[in-house]
Amino acid sequence: MEGELVEKAERLRYAMVEYGAEMIQGLIILVFGLMLLQFVMSRLRVFMDKKAKNRTLATTILGIIYILALVTILSAALITIGFDSRNLLRLIIMIGLVGIVILLILRPYLPTLPFKVGNTVKVGSLLGKIEATTMVHTRMKTFDGKTVFIPNSKILADFVINYHYTPTRRLKIDIPIRHIKDILKCKQLMESIMIEDPRVQNKPARPVVYVMNLVDGSIKLGARCWVANPKFWIAQCDLLEKILTAMDREKITIAGRRQEISLFHETPMEISDYRSNPVSNIMSGSDDTGQDNAPGFSAVNEDNEI
Amino acid sequence: MKIAEAMKTIDEKWTQKKKGFRVCMESYDGNSWILDFSPGEKASLLDSDVTSWRLAWKLAQSTPIDSQGPKLGDMINIFVVDQDKKPIPYYVTGERETFNAFSI
Repeated sequence: MEGELVEKAERLRYAMVEYGAEMIQGLIILVFGLMLLQFVMSRLRVFMDKKAKNRTLATTILGIIYILALVTILSAALITIGFDSRNLLRLIIMIGLVGIVILLILRPYLPTLPFKVGNTVKVGSLLGKIEATTMVHTRMKTFDGKTVFIPNSKILADFVINYHYTPTRRLKIDIPIRHIKDILKCKQLMESIMIEDPRVQNKPARPVVYVMNLVDGSIKLGARCWVANPKFWIAQCDLLEKILTAMDREKITIAGRRQEISLFHETPMEISDYRSNPVSNIMSGSDDTGQDNAPGFSAVNEDNEI
Repeated sequence: MKIAEAMKTIDEKWTQKKKGFRVCMESYDGNSWILDFSPGEKASLLDSDVTSWRLAWKLAQSTPIDSQGPKLGDMINIFVVDQDKKPIPYYVTGERETFNAFSI
């Protein structure tokens, strides 16, 4: 037993004397090479984030650079230790080819994420921009500045809306108005504002305004137009602001929630009397004529407008 | 007239779509008032008139007219123009509007 240990120690000593210097050199190349690689990659990532317009392409290029540099460092370390460079090259080529073949065979069966880095997507209730994807999770930055790490398994099992699949998106603005006489004027106004806006496109469809519905005493007008996906949010806010200010200028009444109050009693009150001062009538229980009519009127409050 | 022709006529003769907007102003360079634009004439136009008018208003707020005379960097007669440098009406009033209006 003791003899075996001594023999092993002797072998190790011999190996260290024979190859120790090369092993230490190889280790130094490996450690410093990996540290240098990490440093260069972090700088490159920062540079690409600032300069690259196509983030997907930038990520792919960074990935290729990383793999090539890693293989070079490992090869250099192994050659220093004493590996034959020709055999090593053959090994690397063989591993690479086998990897490509396996990837090509399995690719149709591998689940892929329905977006790329830089896309604006909605996963479940989370809306944001994809910053990076790994084998395990996806990093998303929401529009209020939070970074969310979503497990890829959850993404693959959930509904995903990718706003980059189509170049345009339909914008929808619904405005309830009060009076029928304003319908045409309001339609023309909304349509003109949409047509004049440089962001509104004529394809896939021209801007249009529909009379959508009649609900709770208000007429709902619906404006629809198409804008480029990246400009959707600001265009919607701007168009709504312009439509509302133009309606105010044209004195078109926007309908708010309509509330109907009915009080019943044996002696009905004249509606015209009630309308002259409805609040004081309710509070004091008398109308303008001074007669006590508190327990009897039926009226509709039509002044609940915004 | 075919529908496509009718649409073409409408596009050409009715509402002209603006290509973009920029804020026009006169700024004081120490000696005289010079015509200036934001974004500059070589830069791409803003695609929102609402944003352009907000920019115009903020510029006006940052350089209020001083009764003691103009100072370097002062900006007057600030309004929004289209791609042809024609003033566009203020979307709130529907009329021409000039912030920091001042006759030189």
